[in-house]
This record gives sequence, C-alpha cells and structure tokens, in this order.
Amino acid sequence: MHIPDGILPIPITAGGYAATAAATWYSVRKIEQQENPRRHVPKASLLTAAFFVVSWIHIPVPPTSVHLVLNGLLGALLGYFAFPAILIGLFFQAVMFQHGGLTTLGINAVIMGLPAIVAHYVFRMRRLGNHDSRTRTAVFGFFSGAVALGISVAMFVAILLGNLPADFDPAIERAAVYTLAVAHVPLIAIEGVITALLTTFLRRVQPELLDDV
Amino acid sequence: MHTKWNIALCLLFLAILGLGLPTPALAHGARIQYTVNVAIELVATYDNGDPMAGAQYVIYAPDDPSTPWLAGECDDEGRFSFTPDSSRPGTWVVQVRQAGHGDIVHIPVGQDTTVAGSTGGYTTLQIVLMAACVVWGSVGTALYFSPRRRG
Repeated sequence: MHIPDGILPIPITAGGYAATAAATWYSVRKIEQQENPRRHVPKASLLTAAFFVVSWIHIPVPPTSVHLVLNGLLGALLGYFAFPAILIGLFFQAVMFQHGGLTTLGINAVIMGLPAIVAHYVFRMRRLGNHDSRTRTAVFGFFSGAVALGISVAMFVAILLGNLPADFDPAIERAAVYTLAVAHVPLIAIEGVITALLTTFLRRVQPELLDDV
Repeated sequence: MHTKWNIALCLLFLAILGLGLPTPALAHGARIQYTVNVAIELVATYDNGDPMAGAQYVIYAPDDPSTPWLAGECDDEGRFSFTPDSSRPGTWVVQVRQAGHGDIVHIPVGQDTTVAGSTGGYTTLQIVLMAACVVWGSVGTALYFSPRRRG
C-alpha cells in the first residue's frame, strides 16, 4: 500500500504533497476549533506509534502478502487528529522501514489519510437519532475500519493504473496491481473487525475516549 | 648426361616443394587475447523476505539512462541476471517493479566494480531499535500531554 520512490511521475508526487499540505492545514484548523485540543494529544500520539508499528505485521494472502494499515481505526478514534498522525507515522515508516518513500510521502498520506477522515464521519453516524448502543458502536466501528481501507485500496489502484510506466509491460503490471488489490479484500474485513472490537472495548472501559468522536 | 641430372634435380626440388606446400609457415611468437564479461546476478525480494516472483525489471545503460537497454521478468525466486556491455563502463541502473512496489539499484561497472551490493540495508536489530525509539518518543509525548492528577 505504500508507494515507494521512483514509481510515480514528479507531477503526481508534487500534487500529493500539495493535497497533503491542504489536508494538514484543514485538519489542524479543525483541531484548533475544538474546546481543548491538548486533551486528545496522548491518544493521538499513542495511535501514531501503533500505526507506525503495525505496517511491520505482514499477513500472508497467497500469492502475495499484505500488512495492516489501521487508518480506519485512527480515523474513528482520532477524528481530524488522524491525518497529521498518519502523516507522521508514514514519515517514520519511510525513513526507517523503507515503506514508501520521501518523494511519495504526500501521495501516500492522501491515500491513507483522507479515507481516515471518511472513517471518522462513518463512525460518527452511530449517534444518528441519539441512539448510541453497543451494537451500533460495533457496526459503525466495523464499517469505519473497512470503508477507510477499501477507499485507500481503490485510490492506490487508480493512481497506479493511471500512471503506468512506458518502459514496463503495462499488461503485467496491471495484472499485478489487481492481484494485490484482491489480496486486500480479507484485510478490509480484518481491519473492520479490529476497529469494531477496539471501539466496543473502549466504549466499555473508557467511554470518554469516544466522547468527542 | 648433364641434361638428365638437371631434370632429376628439378624433379627433386619440386617434390620437396610439393611436400612442404600444405603446411603454412609457423611463427615463433604467440598472443592470447581475453575479454572479461562479468554477469551480474540480482535477487529482488520484499522486505519480509518474500521473493518478487514474476516482477518486471528494466536495465538502463550508463550512457543512455532514458532508454531501456534490457527488460524482462524475474523468476519464481525473484532472480535474474545480465551481462553488461563492457565497452560501456559507468553506473548501470536496474529498476524492479511489481504492483506499484519496487526499487532501483545503481551498479558501478568498470574500474569501480564492486563484488556485491544491495539497496536498503538495515539489519533487523537496527530496525527494532529505531522502531523502539519512535514508540518511546510517542509514549513520552503521550505522558507529557496527559492530564496530571493533583494529589
């Protein structure tokens, strides 16, 4: 899911940085509008660390393997804090794990960060009709985790297929991209379940963590 | 009588010449030429160790970095090899790509030829230590910003 250096043309990577700058600015602005933004920093910081580490956890899905992303979980639990959290996590992943690259940091933040904000709004839908039950938390938690990763995979596929390189055989590359996308289908369900389990667990033991999201 | 001897000598001379004709004259100096064509073997793997089976590779020569010199696919173990043109010394560029993932390696050929090399290159211990530092930094940030209980 992390696009490394040298894969995309410069205009796309530059556009990714521009979109990331705009999304970061908007997220910070929304964070500043909150009553007490500092209150969420510990939660955001710990989830940044979790996001950073989970990309190291590979799940074999023959003929390939995928790794956890958890951008939907961050979106559900952090709201607008998710975008800067994912950006920081991606930076450390690129520098230390060589997951992604510095030139593609912007486009990777778009691919994983923007769906996290969508997940935030999906998770908030559990409160529609002022009926916030455990079941609704689980259902919307599942969908926030699944939808975010689904959108990320769709964006990843669209960006790659829209920028197939001239020097490589496009048919082989296209088939490989589709294979990788299909391999993410089980992961979409897994991340939905993880998000549902964690949100319902937090709702039970520390409901104030879900108060503002 | 004199004429008879002359004819005999001529025949003898021709016979000796005839015997010697099929064998070319051998010189006494020798010369050996050699050209080294070093084949470069590459293995492309993902960072979890899985081979990049069937991944595409493109090789660019040092004097023409925009036109592919050779292209192909890795085998099931992510291996492929090529023999660079020794008349084109410099840095050969090899790009491997599969489903939007891949890497680029620069291989010096000529006087700076190295026996082995790789991209990336942190050991697992280094990665674990660096990851631990980042996690600790995040935990520290969380502790710093967590609301303090006044007792």
